[in-house]
Amino acid sequence: MTDIVTLLTDVQFMAIVILLAFGLFFTLVSTVGVLRLPDIFARAHTASQTDTLGAGLALAAVALALGWQNATAYTVLLLFFVFITNPTAAHAIARSAAESGVTPWEKDDDNTEGDDQ
Amino acid sequence: MAANKILVPLSDTVTVRQTVGYAVQSALEDADELECHLVVAIPHDGDGPAGESIIGEAEQLLERAASWVHEDAGSVSVSVHTAVLGTKEYLFGPREYAEEFATYAGEYGIDCVVLDPEYQPGVTAPMLQPLERELSNVGLEYDEAPVERPAKHERLVGQASFDRMFALFWVSYGFYLILGDPTYWFDLVTGAAVAGIVSLTLSNITFTVAPDRIKSPLRTLRFGLYVPYLIFEIVKANLAISVVILRPSMPIDPSLTRVNARVRSGLPLLALANSITLTPGTLAVRANDQRLIVHTLIPSAREDLFDGSLERAVRFVFHGRDSASIATPKERGDTEIIEGEDL
Repeated sequence: MTDIVTLLTDVQFMAIVILLAFGLFFTLVSTVGVLRLPDIFARAHTASQTDTLGAGLALAAVALALGWQNATAYTVLLLFFVFITNPTAAHAIARSAAESGVTPWEKDDDNTEGDDQ
Repeated sequence: MAANKILVPLSDTVTVRQTVGYAVQSALEDADELECHLVVAIPHDGDGPAGESIIGEAEQLLERAASWVHEDAGSVSVSVHTAVLGTKEYLFGPREYAEEFATYAGEYGIDCVVLDPEYQPGVTAPMLQPLERELSNVGLEYDEAPVERPAKHERLVGQASFDRMFALFWVSYGFYLILGDPTYWFDLVTGAAVAGIVSLTLSNITFTVAPDRIKSPLRTLRFGLYVPYLIFEIVKANLAISVVILRPSMPIDPSLTRVNARVRSGLPLLALANSITLTPGTLAVRANDQRLIVHTLIPSAREDLFDGSLERAVRFVFHGRDSASIATPKERGDTEIIEGEDL
């Protein structure tokens, strides 16, 4: 009986570590993307990765670590609000960029330093 | 003198009577004969048994309006034509309405539309300004009837109704109990009190349309099905983007696209635009009514967007399974790759 309990705790621990590792990975990819991509529109794509999968997986790990208790519901709620506010913010940035006359970088532009407005 | 031909779109508003009056009066100023076309355009849920009652109401309104025209015209010879538009195809937004009016006007050689400032054909979003823009896009002349009406600022506040209060009460009570402890009597009592106050004071500004007793819970359930699907799409898109970013050659091909979405304004359009932005690789830059301008980063994300799987999913959430099976935006010819200058 105690074997099963320790096994379950081990599995839970491993799952938390894996989720956190993937969360960190996607946050890292998103940072690399923000640094490498040419202009504000392309960067807005990858910036949202941090919020969706980065924060999503990290919060999933938190929920798993907390176990079945009230605070777990908070993390789900948090994720829900992040999923509503993140695209709104990304859209606001892209829209204001478009309105202030920034034209998106395209493949055949020689200038890799995209937004040189 | 030539006969004047006018088109008057009607909807059941407080100012519809004044609009008809103005239309007849202004059309008779420079003509002694009048051909008045009264139309009611019904929104896209005009199908099925509920649709029949909508069409019935539309015909009653047309009948009343026709008698107003005769009343206002007095002794002048006037011919009244009535029609219900939009029974054959789905009208979603201002663009479809404007096109429908333009087709009708073309058929009968009408050159002027008289608009009711409060015109609202069964959709929730304000209609007048976008409709005026679309009418000038299709090259139809319009005239807004000067009417007297109650102050506009009341529009934010809907009518208080039991359904709204009931729905808001349970939503706020549920939220309170999630934050609190659903098994503790003190939280149960204070939660009920708070939810009661919230639902009494705020129910008429929370919902612009009263929640439907059957449809709204169904939509919530279908939204529950939609969330896992959306998460799956997000994970898929994230992996695709990550691969592209981490490759040293970084094979991106950004382009701007325009997609005409076949979902209604308001909540469905918001859900679609937010879902598009949430999936990396597609980013909603602009939403002019149903015309979404989407920036796409890689070709595969663009293909997915043109295949319209998210659009079908959103239609499933809001209108059920039947309306989810429509042609992809690509097949409909509703997609276009545009230049940066066209923003």
